[in-house]
Amino acid sequence: MALSKEVYKEFEDVVGEENICDDPAIMPAYFATEFAAVILPKDTAKVQAIVKLCNKHKLKFRAISTGWTGVFPKNTILLDLRRMNRIIEINEKNMYAVVEPYVISAELQAELFKRGLNFCIKGAGSNCSAMLRGHGHLDQTTSADDRNHLAIEWVTPEGEIVRLGSLGSSDEWFCGDGPGPSLRAIISSAVPPGVTPGVFTKAAIKLYHWPGPSKLPVVGKSPRYTLREIPANMMARYYSFPSVEKMWQAELKIGESEIAYELMGFNASMVASNITTCNEEEEEVFRRISQEVQGPGFFVIIAGNSPEDFAYKKKVLEKIVSDADGKSLKSVEDPEIEGILLCQCVRISASIRETFRAGGAFNSIPIMGQRDLTIKWAIGAGEAKKPLIKKGLIVDDGGAFFGWGVEQGHLGKTEIFCRFDPLNPEAKKAVEEWRKEQCARAVNERYFADLLMAKIDESGPSLSNYHLWWRKIVKELDPNSVSPEGGPLV
Amino acid sequence: MALEDYRGDMEMCCRCSCCKFIPMQMVQGAEYSYACPSIAKYNFHAYSAGGRLNIAASMLKKGFNYSDKILDIVKNCQMCGACGVSCNYAMDMEVLEPIQEFRIKTVEDGHTVPALEKVITSLGNQGSMVPVTGKRGDWASGLNLKDATSKKVNVLYHVGCLTSYDKNMQKLAKATVNILQKAGVNFGITGDAEMCCGGRAYQMGYKEDFLNQAKKNMAMIKKAGIKTLVASCSNCYQAFKVLYDKYNLRGDLEVLHITEYIARSLNEETLKPSKKVALTVTYHDPCRLGRLGEPWIHWEGKKIPGDRFVFDPPKIYRRGTHGVYEPPREVLNSISGIKLMEMTRIKEYAWCCGAGGGVNESNPEFAMWTANERIREAVSTGAEAIVTACPWCEKTFNEAIQKNESSLKVYDIVELVEKAI
Ligand SMILES: Cc1cc2nc3c(=O)[nH]c(=O)nc-3n(C[C@H](O)[C@H](O)[C@H](O)COP(=O)(O)OP(=O)(O)OC[C@H]3O[C@@H](n4cnc5c(N)ncnc54)[C@H](O)[C@@H]3O)c2cc1C
Ligand code: SF4
Ligand code: SF4
Repeated sequence: MALSKEVYKEFEDVVGEENICDDPAIMPAYFATEFAAVILPKDTAKVQAIVKLCNKHKLKFRAISTGWTGVFPKNTILLDLRRMNRIIEINEKNMYAVVEPYVISAELQAELFKRGLNFCIKGAGSNCSAMLRGHGHLDQTTSADDRNHLAIEWVTPEGEIVRLGSLGSSDEWFCGDGPGPSLRAIISSAVPPGVTPGVFTKAAIKLYHWPGPSKLPVVGKSPRYTLREIPANMMARYYSFPSVEKMWQAELKIGESEIAYELMGFNASMVASNITTCNEEEEEVFRRISQEVQGPGFFVIIAGNSPEDFAYKKKVLEKIVSDADGKSLKSVEDPEIEGILLCQCVRISASIRETFRAGGAFNSIPIMGQRDLTIKWAIGAGEAKKPLIKKGLIVDDGGAFFGWGVEQGHLGKTEIFCRFDPLNPEAKKAVEEWRKEQCARAVNERYFADLLMAKIDESGPSLSNYHLWWRKIVKELDPNSVSPEGGPLV
Repeated sequence: MALEDYRGDMEMCCRCSCCKFIPMQMVQGAEYSYACPSIAKYNFHAYSAGGRLNIAASMLKKGFNYSDKILDIVKNCQMCGACGVSCNYAMDMEVLEPIQEFRIKTVEDGHTVPALEKVITSLGNQGSMVPVTGKRGDWASGLNLKDATSKKVNVLYHVGCLTSYDKNMQKLAKATVNILQKAGVNFGITGDAEMCCGGRAYQMGYKEDFLNQAKKNMAMIKKAGIKTLVASCSNCYQAFKVLYDKYNLRGDLEVLHITEYIARSLNEETLKPSKKVALTVTYHDPCRLGRLGEPWIHWEGKKIPGDRFVFDPPKIYRRGTHGVYEPPREVLNSISGIKLMEMTRIKEYAWCCGAGGGVNESNPEFAMWTANERIREAVSTGAEAIVTACPWCEKTFNEAIQKNESSLKVYDIVELVEKAI
């Protein structure tokens, strides 16, 4: 359904003719969805005006930040927030940054490094919006965004501008809970990617101390960047363990002793993806590393605030690893490889190598919860991958999973994915079935899993029917039903 | 290879947006983080490399229904290749090649834009990509240079259309000649007989016109028995070295950019810059000398059926790693008094000057916008001058500077070398 000339003109009057387009020519670039129009607002006032027009004409709308992911109904008005790309404020004293949706994490992080600060970058990569909510490599020290979002500016589905937390009472961004309206219960599962309707136009993000240099000394040419030298008081290692139990023992101890700047439970396949520059090299290195590791493992970055602090953390790490019979992967001790990993895993710049490079697609199940339990679930999901590997439908990673602890404790994220060629229908179908089965198994075993939309009505009753409450809230927020949900409820 | 041959590559695009930015490790803040001028200016995802691949892939599936918007998307791209470098940091897929093939297809299907048609008509009629005034070899009158078509020379200096005809750029030809003479090189030119390399026509999508020029040039070169060609224009350099090779036309002709030749002469001590040039400069890597100057890799193969996007024989991608980055820097560093301040976006992830891909001709305002972005970045280094190694960059920067009244000076590297010897 194309917009009528009159309605189109109303939107055009808001953003100017160069910032709206309904030409079918551009749509393949937008998720191959036939949007009613794509609109590029520059600021919150424009977003509000567009949302009000959508309500006036009962047109469905959705927003994207960098637009990596998303499934959108046909004829939606798409607000591409690309022009909202300003870092509004970096408050060093109170340790928060206020950003618009199209500030990418790499940009914000580089600015923060100059000030001795860092923030939680989502594992997806620093090419994504710095504002979006999620988990990542640095969760050990930066926690995840359940805590990291402070005040937020939100244009509701009806076009009200709501300023959450301290912003609502004092124009200050320092707190998400107030003084002022908290609404964290709605937002916490919901700052995108998620389901809260409306458009998030600014968010304050909590910042953390960065013990490294103001700029990493990157050398080399793409695709092989490494560090000229490992920055003072920093070290990166990969340890493997004889069993999952031993690995978990070490992970927990590292958390308790608060010594790791980053603990990322990569499997050998992900290490291989990270340190190689093409698919062929990756296959070869994976085979080699698989022989070198003794079992499951993790990648650790230690960052000291002084030589003494570094020496202490290193010593504790070595003791914990040795107590759990861990073994350091020799390849990663090579300063060039250590540099590659250190840089990539601080600047979060190789997730694409881990996921899309091999076949062009991946399908993943992330599970939040107590790590030792979720790992048990993941081992099962890994076993279920093996027949697909055998048939050559998915990339051979040994049936591995990965994950990491959050906030130096026993909670964390455990995830498992299959990489495949999306143009192979058999592979696609097999992976979808695997995902469905393993998600269902997770829910049955009472894990906090991403639920497929179709299943919510089945699983809701075992979770206090929260989905029904959520729908009631959404109805209140969006009486005209113009702001469709952005993804599955988690 | 035709657009269809890149279907698999285009389908690999995962929409990650990395092609909009310089490689993530190199991002130094909110400023100068973009690699692609097209998305930075036009904002709709369709104007990114990923968007172009998505559109081309969709047209392959659904048919080529051209519209003004499609042509606008196709032509507002400098063909600078920055997208490919950023994408290929992590992905194994061709990016610029399908974009180039998409362009070629639009032209072959008869969907062209008047501004570019005009240029190509002039190429056909007058053998030049720039307006013709006088004769091509007029700049050399009185210089007594050898005619490489009739005299035995070790090196052919190919001057290029812009440097030959543009009165403001002829100084670059004279400087180059001066340098080659000082280095004692037995070189010649082809003067009025010189022909356009065809490289810029290729960037615009006019493959046949390019091939026509390439064949004529190589016939002349073979006939004259020339073994080494030196170009001072990065567009010519890339055409002779990379594009002619791509179409198996280069044979064993050695192609060098003047900066490579100078660097070689410095190493062999046949050239000694002895005079001081007190200047703080920043160096702009021309796209076609830098990342796109990387040698062509001949490859033919088939996808291995199965889970991965891999081929038999394995495909080696041109990821910008082996462009000409060091010789110009070596040359600058050899001149006493020159202080080189690097910009944020350099080497394989340098920002384009704006002139490539026919944008200079079809959308001068976009070319100026792109150049202004670079000028801003150059000024931010504290440099007094931006130095480049291509007349097209110099021309575009000069125009941008004139328009915005910046005090930044613009030099081609040969001008500085000339001052120093
Ligand atoms: C390879 C890969 C790895 C990933 N790994 C992780 C991981 O480790 N941890 C993790 O937490 N996540 C992960 N993800 C999910 C990831 O967090 C999101 O894909 C990413 O943050 C999206 O950022 P984006 O800027 O591309 O958002 P977009 O793709 O633009 O948006 C994502 C969703 O949010 C909605 N949205 C975006 N912006 C707004 C806004 N301002 N207001 C309202 N709605 C909006 C969109 O409609 C869409 O539904 C991964 C994804 C990929 C593809
Ligand atoms: S072209 Fe490459 S970098 Fe760009 S969106 Fe596609 S996969 Fe990502
Ligand atoms: S070639 Fe240059 S202008 Fe064109 S899409 Fe790639 S980066 Fe953008």
